[in-house]
Amino acid sequence: MASLAAKGISKVFEDGFQALTDIDLVVEPGEFVTLLGPSGCGKTTLLKTLAGFYDATTGTIEIGGTDVTAAPPEKRDTAMCFQSYALFPHLTVAENIDFGPRQAGVPKAERRDRLEGLLRQVDLEAHRDKLPNRLSGGQQQRVALARALAMRPAVVLFDEPLSNLDAKLREQVRREIRALQKEIGFTAIYVTHDQSEALAMSDRVVVMQGGRIDQVGRPEEIYARPETAFVADFIGAANLVPFEDMGGGRVKTPLGDLRAAVPPAGNATFICWRPEDVELVEAGAASENVIRGVVRDRAYQGAHTELHVATGDADLGLQRLHVAGAAPAEGAEVAFRLGADQIRFVRGALT
Amino acid sequence: MTLRRTLTIAALLTPGLGLILVMVGSVFYIAVAQSFGYYNLSGDSAFSLDHWRDVLGSKQFGRSLGYSAYIAIISALGSIAIAYPLAIWMRKPFRGSLVVGSLLKAPLFVPGLVAAFLFLNVVAYHGVLNQFLMWTGLTDAPIRFQNDRNGFGVIFLQLWKNMPLALLLLTGAVQGISDEVVDAARDLGAGPLARFRKVIAPLTVQAMQAALIIIFIGAAGDFAFQVTAGPTNVQSMAQYMVFLKTSFGRWNQAAVVGVSLMGLALVGALGLAGLARLTLRGLKW
Repeated sequence: MASLAAKGISKVFEDGFQALTDIDLVVEPGEFVTLLGPSGCGKTTLLKTLAGFYDATTGTIEIGGTDVTAAPPEKRDTAMCFQSYALFPHLTVAENIDFGPRQAGVPKAERRDRLEGLLRQVDLEAHRDKLPNRLSGGQQQRVALARALAMRPAVVLFDEPLSNLDAKLREQVRREIRALQKEIGFTAIYVTHDQSEALAMSDRVVVMQGGRIDQVGRPEEIYARPETAFVADFIGAANLVPFEDMGGGRVKTPLGDLRAAVPPAGNATFICWRPEDVELVEAGAASENVIRGVVRDRAYQGAHTELHVATGDADLGLQRLHVAGAAPAEGAEVAFRLGADQIRFVRGALT
Repeated sequence: MTLRRTLTIAALLTPGLGLILVMVGSVFYIAVAQSFGYYNLSGDSAFSLDHWRDVLGSKQFGRSLGYSAYIAIISALGSIAIAYPLAIWMRKPFRGSLVVGSLLKAPLFVPGLVAAFLFLNVVAYHGVLNQFLMWTGLTDAPIRFQNDRNGFGVIFLQLWKNMPLALLLLTGAVQGISDEVVDAARDLGAGPLARFRKVIAPLTVQAMQAALIIIFIGAAGDFAFQVTAGPTNVQSMAQYMVFLKTSFGRWNQAAVVGVSLMGLALVGALGLAGLARLTLRGLKW
């Protein structure tokens, strides 16, 4: 186990495109950190820069305290699980897993022990002599993981490893990767654009946008206390409403005057609340933070029903509410209350 | 598959495949038959092993066979050896790669005989190369490069002519390997040579075998380069075959050489292709 520290990383490609800007990231030994963001946000570029496939234009990268900024991938103590698995199609499962240790000159007996142990851990003993094209997607992913782990690397880098799997298999392999990571304790950096994957697997989530880090935190923090409009909108569902600060936690919004438990910071631009944070109340109820509207659309989601509610301000758009149990019909007038402590303030603009 | 369907497929294949089989098969049949005394153009046609005995017993035949095999093997392996690094270099497009690729493939469009005469202009006793060497003072008198005894001139021409073909085949195969597979090898500690030996070469072995076979067969049967730029103390198989026919009218012996040349092409090409596969299997680790 080793730590990874990236300081001031920027990446400008030959065509002048700046993919990364001033990235600072520290990953502690044994930690599982996810780089999360939409397509083109720079997360894969950052991962490939950490792996050594791209040279950082500026900044330094340290693994286990050693500066590896100028080292090529084959000299870095990292191993990567690729999006396409990138298994060697001419080698069997066992040969694929053994490739790295053999390349590194690991003694034969130790190589055999590693191979047997990993085949057992990823449950592929019965497939050891098969070529990759005879394995399912999930099995191929497990071979890719075992191949990376066989190197006993300081850091394992995952580049959207589950994106080619169907939803059910994705969840299963996700659990397997996390279980293995906890069992072996390797340091992991995982790239995904799937927020539920990031929230479910990570010790910490790094949310990226436009080549920059927007917010870093535990999954619970990221979800419950987003710092920017982008994070609030990208992680789960959020209602974002502009406001004017009236002091003392009171704000003026197109939904009406509201009171928040914590007053906004100076650079806040929106109030934010999650759809599940509301409580439906009687239409005539007069109370603080009660908002009225008409249900324009409803979608049954199993555990809850999602309502899209028009609140009178056409420019504001529809507000999203998650209601458990019986939900109002389309066209019904509803009133809902926002708890003062459920109202957060975020900075930045909507993208 | 029903009989009707089988017959339909056979009927559809007949115009193309049938023509090829008849053309190739008839040439092969006549050559073999003539080598055993049939289709004799200057005497009785009857089965005889005399022509084989005479040719195989000739020292000149042995030298021709060895020389043609030597030229073919060096040309095939040399073309591959030059084409592989170029194919890997041009695996990813870069500024000017289209021009470089076109220039490298240009020899494919130049007829062999034209190339051979151009080559003679360069290496002749009073050719460009000798004039340059004397002008620079590196030599006092012209050196005899033309028709060198080791066949280096022929090998150079073969490489010049055949390397683009190997490049064409290998470039497609090398470009077919995904970046992530090569990156994975790199990530797992494989340097440039290990990546070539353990990943790129095994995954392109079929293109390599195709190139080896095509180049070997072409070079083994070379006539134009040999008569223009080849050594005068030894004949290639094709040259020897023509020599037997035109100088002595020995059609049957020429057929023996022709059949032997086909045998050399078959054995040599398959041998090189098999050797390539075996070597790569050994190099896998």
